[in-house]
Amino acid sequence: MAKIVGLPKLSPTMEEGTLAKWVAQEGDTIEVDDLLAEVETDKATMEFRSFDKGVLLKILADEGDTLEPDTPVAIIGEEGEDIADLIEEAKNYSPKSDSDSDSDSDSKSKSKSKSDSEPESKSEPESKSGSNTAAAQKPQRKSGDRIFASPLVRRMAREEDVDLADVEGSGPHGRIIKRDLDAFLEGGGARKKSSSSGAAGWERKAPVVEKASQMRKAIARRLTESKQTVPHFYLTIDVDAEGLIATRQQMNGSLDGEKVSFNDLIIKAAAVALRRYPKANASWIDGEIHWHQVVDVSVAVAVDEGLVTPVVRDADRKGVLDISREVKDLAVRARDKKLSLEEMQNGTFSISNLGMYGIEEFAAVINPPEGALLAVGALRDAPTIRDGELAMGKRMKLTLSCDHRVVDGAVGAQYLQVLQRLLETPSTMLL
Amino acid sequence: MRELRYREAVREAIREEMEADEKVFLMGEEVGHYQGAYKVSEGLLSQFGEKRVIDTPIAEAGFAGIGIGAAMTGLRPVIEFMTWNFSFVAFDQIISNAAKIRQMSGGTFDVPIVFRGPNGAAKQVASQHSHSVDPFYTNIPGIFVVMPATPRDAKGLLKTAIRCNDPVIFLEGETLYNVKGEVPDEGEEELIDLGRGRIGREGSDCTIVAFGRPYYEAMQAAEKLAQDGIECEIVDPRTLRPLDIELLAESVRKTHRCVVVHEHWPYGGPGAEIVDQLQREAFDWLDAPIARVGSLDVPMPYASNLEDFVLPTVERITDAVRNVSYAK
Repeated sequence: MAKIVGLPKLSPTMEEGTLAKWVAQEGDTIEVDDLLAEVETDKATMEFRSFDKGVLLKILADEGDTLEPDTPVAIIGEEGEDIADLIEEAKNYSPKSDSDSDSDSDSKSKSKSKSDSEPESKSEPESKSGSNTAAAQKPQRKSGDRIFASPLVRRMAREEDVDLADVEGSGPHGRIIKRDLDAFLEGGGARKKSSSSGAAGWERKAPVVEKASQMRKAIARRLTESKQTVPHFYLTIDVDAEGLIATRQQMNGSLDGEKVSFNDLIIKAAAVALRRYPKANASWIDGEIHWHQVVDVSVAVAVDEGLVTPVVRDADRKGVLDISREVKDLAVRARDKKLSLEEMQNGTFSISNLGMYGIEEFAAVINPPEGALLAVGALRDAPTIRDGELAMGKRMKLTLSCDHRVVDGAVGAQYLQVLQRLLETPSTMLL
Repeated sequence: MRELRYREAVREAIREEMEADEKVFLMGEEVGHYQGAYKVSEGLLSQFGEKRVIDTPIAEAGFAGIGIGAAMTGLRPVIEFMTWNFSFVAFDQIISNAAKIRQMSGGTFDVPIVFRGPNGAAKQVASQHSHSVDPFYTNIPGIFVVMPATPRDAKGLLKTAIRCNDPVIFLEGETLYNVKGEVPDEGEEELIDLGRGRIGREGSDCTIVAFGRPYYEAMQAAEKLAQDGIECEIVDPRTLRPLDIELLAESVRKTHRCVVVHEHWPYGGPGAEIVDQLQREAFDWLDAPIARVGSLDVPMPYASNLEDFVLPTVERITDAVRNVSYAK
């Protein structure tokens, strides 16, 4: 008996998913747990595996379609079954009314069926005055077709602020020539709306509108929620980094080719500091305070579309080299969108480092429900006091973003003090 | 203003410069006793004597080289090639010596010399004697190339060329020698700067760049087109190297269309150079690609009807103008 297969909810927070790729094809025999498709969600590209066995009789959703969970995407049944009714049923499917208040307004209209989905709205918005008949007649040009126009016409169009897409060309290959543009303007052809053209010869174009990816939407939603509901405050401490530099040199000198980074050492130190001063390792969740018993550090990794925060579990208990290897592996897989959901969830504390871009210090947005986040600035040359003497030294600024509901000013400050001591004298991490 | 033939205008220029400066002399085949193969130098031998109007053997490489040497030592030779076709045997003297001496001597020597004679096709002189040599000489840095179309331009430009301290290639035309045109009266000296063009006819719809003999075909084409309401502007650069690109571009910026007419073959040459410079200087003003009308890409046939077919005709010019004007 054939059945409609709906898009499964592949993560707890998934409100919609984009069908990235069909792996199974119509006519394929499917076993339970066979890979049907890859689906891009707010978290990662997830595997969509079959709960049923049978033959994939019909694919109902195209690659690239963005759909809500449960939207029909395929029909699985036995070879040769009549599925006309099911196809009809799938066509008439309408998403359950969604009364969740936290879903942003535009996501509701997302589950467009194929038929009414518009082509990518990447082109600049057009504006035309419908009042004039000459101008209202749009030339028969397929979207994406090149507009041929003489250099003179292109210059005139810039100066007159005319969109050449509205002008019919009478020259060879449909080239728009002076005569065509003159006729268009005499007929009251429409100028572009923005008559506030800039300096002569400079074309002021409208923004290019692009659909946000699932990841961008997730970032937008989570960070807006964080900044609007979490009372942030920020503490900055300036750390003498000489000891850290020396320790890293010693470590790398003893390694055969492998290298640990400053960031690896800072992850380790921040984790040890949380173990020694656990008050900063807490979350506010629904009116309760969760005192974490493990130290799981989320590490912000920039990827093409935005950023993800894979988690280094038990970072306080791991050696720096293990941390280093783990972070490298997580970063590579993050860029390939191959991280599993588990690897990106349930951190207890975050670290974000923009030092490599020369950022001296910055205040980051907390990754809820974590209670604090450490923002790491650049290593810099700075005067420092050593043995009571002014000397040239290396320093680094660390800024802790705290959720005031669980981490008060004094708590955050004492945590930073502990961390400062560990970073300035890394051997004390061994104690 | 009086009317003179082209040949008389050239003769007047030589005579006046010889009268004004005793260092100027004329040398070439049959320039003296025969009074010039095309009678350009008629009367000059009796006026200036054999020391300043010198008949040479048929030895272009020789008298071109002698001229260059004379120029290096302070004289101002005017070297006549009976036609420019014969200059090919003197090509090495011109390209390797005349055009190079100033540079190779580190500025020690000037070479104030004029090479002149008829260029292009005459009537039925066949392929070996019908060359338009302007593409060959305009390619050479270190020399000026002048190609006047009218008697007035010929006189004014030749006088300037003789006074110029660098080699000048002066291209006249066998079929131009009988052309009549206005020339300033005797005593009214006119010098025309090298590198300056001239508007031959004003118009608003299409620029025709034309020089040498086809200037007249372009003029006829413009008259024909005017009857259909297409007003052409004719610009004669007069000097092909250096080129008065600003005058040409100014015209094209006004008319938005351009046809370049030349007698030389279509591959390269000043015709192509003009198109190249114009498309850069006037790109944003062009409503159509620039067109060219030249001789067909073949050795000149001897048959009269075929010769007419190969040379740029009035009809081919009008067709080209209609084409760039998107007119039928």
